[in-house]
Amino acid sequence: MSQEVAIVGIGYTSFRPLTPEVSYKELVYEAAVKAYEDAGLDPRSDVDSIVSVAEDFTEGTSIFDEYVPDQLGGMLKPNVTIPGDGIHGLATAYMQIASGIVDVVAVEAHSKASNVLTLPRITAYAMDPVLNRPLRANPVFIAGMEMNRYLYTSGATREHCALVVAKNKRNALLNPAAAFGAALEPDQALDSEMVAYPLSVVDISPHADGAIVVVLASAEVAQSLTDVPIWIRGIGWCNDSPSLENRAWGRAIYAEEAGRMAYRTAGIRNAMDEIDLAEIDDAYSYKELQHLEALGFCEYGRGGFLTADGVTEIEGALPVNASGGSIGGGHLLDASGLRAVVEVALQLRGEAGAHQIPGVETGLAFGWRGVPSTSGAAVILSS
Amino acid sequence: MAILNKPDKVHQAIAWHGDIPITNRYTAGVAGERFFREVKENGKFMGTRCPECDLIYVPATMFCERCFAELDEWVQVENQGQVVTYTILYWDLDDQPLAVPLVLALVQLDGSDGGLVHYLGETDPEDVYIGMEVEAVLKDPAEREGSILDIRHFRPIQV
Ligand SMILES: [Zn+2]
Repeated sequence: MSQEVAIVGIGYTSFRPLTPEVSYKELVYEAAVKAYEDAGLDPRSDVDSIVSVAEDFTEGTSIFDEYVPDQLGGMLKPNVTIPGDGIHGLATAYMQIASGIVDVVAVEAHSKASNVLTLPRITAYAMDPVLNRPLRANPVFIAGMEMNRYLYTSGATREHCALVVAKNKRNALLNPAAAFGAALEPDQALDSEMVAYPLSVVDISPHADGAIVVVLASAEVAQSLTDVPIWIRGIGWCNDSPSLENRAWGRAIYAEEAGRMAYRTAGIRNAMDEIDLAEIDDAYSYKELQHLEALGFCEYGRGGFLTADGVTEIEGALPVNASGGSIGGGHLLDASGLRAVVEVALQLRGEAGAHQIPGVETGLAFGWRGVPSTSGAAVILSS
Repeated sequence: MAILNKPDKVHQAIAWHGDIPITNRYTAGVAGERFFREVKENGKFMGTRCPECDLIYVPATMFCERCFAELDEWVQVENQGQVVTYTILYWDLDDQPLAVPLVLALVQLDGSDGGLVHYLGETDPEDVYIGMEVEAVLKDPAEREGSILDIRHFRPIQV
């Protein structure tokens, strides 16, 4: 990769089911103040450019980029808002610095999901209007169909998915920012209410509110600012077929390709040997298993067995979602991928607190945009 | 400092509600037009074939998403096929319980590489399985409008 780029500032709010006392702008302002404080920067004089990630329909506002700069200290500066996962935003900021046009970029993503009163209908509006939407089905049906096919072709089981739920909820108990920590037994997960067979209510990550700001800088600036720059070693993103009728249902091919691009740009040959921890999308429990396999940590169909063997526990050989992920932390809409980035960066700095994994140097974050999308993005970070 | 004076009683937290009507037309397109017209007028399912990839797309498309070729070879496929995957859906569009759970499936139509996402009917949800042979049940010709809902549902083929 050309110009080296590092994370030099991290700011985030706690993630909560409800935030009635603050507007989304104030949530973002809190994360921004923390990120600039962490980086030791004044946004009005030291930040060159702003990248935010937002989707108009979940913001409840058209042309949402109009509503971005002020709470980030970004007025009268280059601004761009992209509808994508937080890691797509990170990639955009990365490229601005790597290309040499700017030195310091703030990346922002947030969720005010508690104010989105008709979220399933907005998600339904993302389905093909001619072929799929007339069926008037809650779009969670896509996750149910995908999980069913995945279990059928991979050999993974509902029990494996329940282990993911129990692990991530338990990990979240160690993370003060997480919204949905619980000491849940796998058996309780298996017995919970069915939503879209074989997907039950605890297999679905519940939504939370929160905001995240990450400050990126070029190598020279990064080294002048901090003793612990977290380097972006590689990044990749990919989409599979948008068509429900033509996509691969058992495999997460978008994640395979996004991972391949991230590993190629990072020079990584063996993910399991070279990566110490991963924060990967677990919007639904089976997605953690599918993404684990797609990102090359194990063979297709082995993710569940790896989980059952304890490999993905905080004490395991490859801790996955030590933060609690979305199942334990709360799903942050398109900010979920950026939360994964923050968690990996904190681990690499040694600042993850009670869920710190000792001795980690390289980590992977992976985000997925949720149903009905096949849109994924991966980033490799190193201390 | 305002930041030290956040409202600390829920009834003090002011919020405004807003909504807008959003209404669109969605053009079926060159391939979609012919696909739905064949269902409506002839009760037939048509796909388009990519000779380069040797794939038959159903629903028909005007171009191949794999090799990007324009497709103009139309082939009829069967009104029956296999359940690739399915779900039993218990929630409605507002995340409220459905009075009667819906069975939804992706059915790969015989003679094609694609398929249709639709309801499965005339079966107990417990009896559905991946690989099950099912057939399309169309509305009466007079009721058809040229939409995916011209198919009532798929049902198991009685053997
Ligand atoms: Zn082709």
